[in-house]
Amino acid sequence: MISKLLACIKKEALLLMRDSVGLSLLFIMPMVLIFVMTLIQDAAFKTINEKGIPIIFVNNDHDSLGILIEQGLKNNDLCSYYDSIDGKPATAALAQKAIADGKFLVGIIIPKNATEAIRKNVTDLVSETMNTTTETAVNDPNIPDSVEITILIDPVAKKSFLMSVTSNLREFISEIKTKIMFQTFSDQIADVIPDKSKAPKNTFKKTQIIKYKEVYATKSEDKIVPNAVQHNVPAWAIFAMFFIAIPLSGSIMKEKNEGSVFRLHTMPSSFLLLVNGKIIVYVFVCLIQFLLMLSVGLVFLPMLGLPTLVLGSSYMGIFMLTLATAFAATGYGVMVGTLASTEHQAAIMGSLSILLLSALGGVWVPSYVMPELMRNISAYSPLNWALSGFYKLFLRDAGTGDVLIDALKLMAFFIATMSIASIVNRKKRAI
Amino acid sequence: MSTTAIIEIENLTKVFKNTTEPAVNGISFSINRNEIFGLLGPNGAGKTTTISILCGLFPPTSGKILIDGHSLQHKPAHIKQIIGIVPQDIALYPTLTARENLDFYGHMYGLKGKDLKDKIDIWLQKLGLIDAANRLVSTYSGGMKRRVNLIAGVLHSPKILFLDEPTVGVDVQSRNVIIEHLKEINADGTTIIYTSHHLEEAENFCTQVSIIDHGKILTQGSPEELIANNPGAISLENVFLNLTNRKLRD
Repeated sequence: MISKLLACIKKEALLLMRDSVGLSLLFIMPMVLIFVMTLIQDAAFKTINEKGIPIIFVNNDHDSLGILIEQGLKNNDLCSYYDSIDGKPATAALAQKAIADGKFLVGIIIPKNATEAIRKNVTDLVSETMNTTTETAVNDPNIPDSVEITILIDPVAKKSFLMSVTSNLREFISEIKTKIMFQTFSDQIADVIPDKSKAPKNTFKKTQIIKYKEVYATKSEDKIVPNAVQHNVPAWAIFAMFFIAIPLSGSIMKEKNEGSVFRLHTMPSSFLLLVNGKIIVYVFVCLIQFLLMLSVGLVFLPMLGLPTLVLGSSYMGIFMLTLATAFAATGYGVMVGTLASTEHQAAIMGSLSILLLSALGGVWVPSYVMPELMRNISAYSPLNWALSGFYKLFLRDAGTGDVLIDALKLMAFFIATMSIASIVNRKKRAI
Repeated sequence: MSTTAIIEIENLTKVFKNTTEPAVNGISFSINRNEIFGLLGPNGAGKTTTISILCGLFPPTSGKILIDGHSLQHKPAHIKQIIGIVPQDIALYPTLTARENLDFYGHMYGLKGKDLKDKIDIWLQKLGLIDAANRLVSTYSGGMKRRVNLIAGVLHSPKILFLDEPTVGVDVQSRNVIIEHLKEINADGTTIIYTSHHLEEAENFCTQVSIIDHGKILTQGSPEELIANNPGAISLENVFLNLTNRKLRD
């Protein structure tokens, strides 16, 4: 039995190695896909993560509010600060045009005398409360009663993304406004109380009662930032593994067409033994594919200035999940090869179904950004089980136990596809 | 049932799904050990269906088959070990060499190690393929492929060898080599069941012949007996045409 199995493995390996075009497709195609998709998606990730959102800032105030917002934007990693357009100082009109042209995603226009307007309002409030009068700009007609900060947004940019940016900006500006109000309030109080030493100090700091601390819920102490590499490397590696369904089903069809299956059915060897030879070789190919894809993420993508793939710490978990994915992919290939009646049919059935399963599984677009209905459907794709397992291992630093269910689901898929293949094969022979 | 018979068939019938007319219609015959048995008939007569059932490729609709004393339905694994088949179409891997093909098929019959290697070398030598043994089969001529196809069926020295038109589409030289070696195999004790459209070849090669048409056996006997029993016939071809008529078949 062992010598028969070894002969099947040897035959299958030789057939695969001699199919240089098919073999190169199996390895080169997914590597190219990883490069292309990561480079494309990295630009979008970079806009947010590294370079920051390009923001044009028009400061007509030139006082505390304008200056503090300017400093805040300059020091914020999330945005890329600009105050000039093509070498000219930014104005409201220029900023509007530049955003309409797509040069910036967001623009902020601080109106003239904005700080003074805040101060005036606080001063008026204190005067009314304390029943005193002050001479500060109360009657200056240039100082408005309220401040209108204009936030210009690129109409082409995604709404949900802009909502999050503008809401952050509003919160940030509101914080600065509060700071100025408290400072003015503190100054006004100091003016009216007799003992200046009892005047409130650092009033703004005392208002910071609620603070926020954001912590990434990973098991690792290091924060692993989701980026194009962390998504694309496992996603396309899984896609590549499932893509072997095409050459595998093609090889089954070829054996049928070339008459080898006819001869094999007359021999004292079971269908399972012959298929096992294929499964072992193709599972091995899947493992090599995965290693190659990981090497792309670990070595080659960083050479292009992209982030390095972070693997997490459970190598056992990675191996277990990769092996289960490889079995699921080969089982699927055997099933397609058994269901199809011609090589052409197998190629079309294999490629279309894998494209569909990968789209549903979150390979092209992560499932967490899909609408709820699609997310629910996605949960039935074996590619999604594999991908969510790798997310857990790579992004959440999960262990073997955390991905055991995903691996078991993939193995159940393998058993189901093999059972279907066996039943269909028996039915086809019972003519 | 006879003790000298290696194959015994009783009322064998095969009706394929979605068809009403049986491909094989209640045929009964037996083949003695060491015979070269020719199953002859026009296209669609039921020859390949009969051979396919005997090889265990698909089950009969009804009937009883005993091969070497064992029921095909009950002991298929044992029977598959003692039979060899040389199919009509070349059943080889074109992107493997002849040696790699034979090594694989030899293993599938349970051969291994030096025994297998020696057998492969002997057969490649016998059929004039030793120098081309390490070339891909896809580079072979039709005759060379036929010869490798034959070796793959006889490598494990089967008790019964099924040959479905083994010389179709080959030149005279290759055909002579194939027939010579088949006679040699038969002389070593292998029973041969053979189908062909080459009636002259069948007349010279077979010891017993059965002419089948529309799934039924029309006549059976040695070529000499069949010719003698058909008045006016001077060859097996005359007998064949008398029994199956000259009408074109699909």
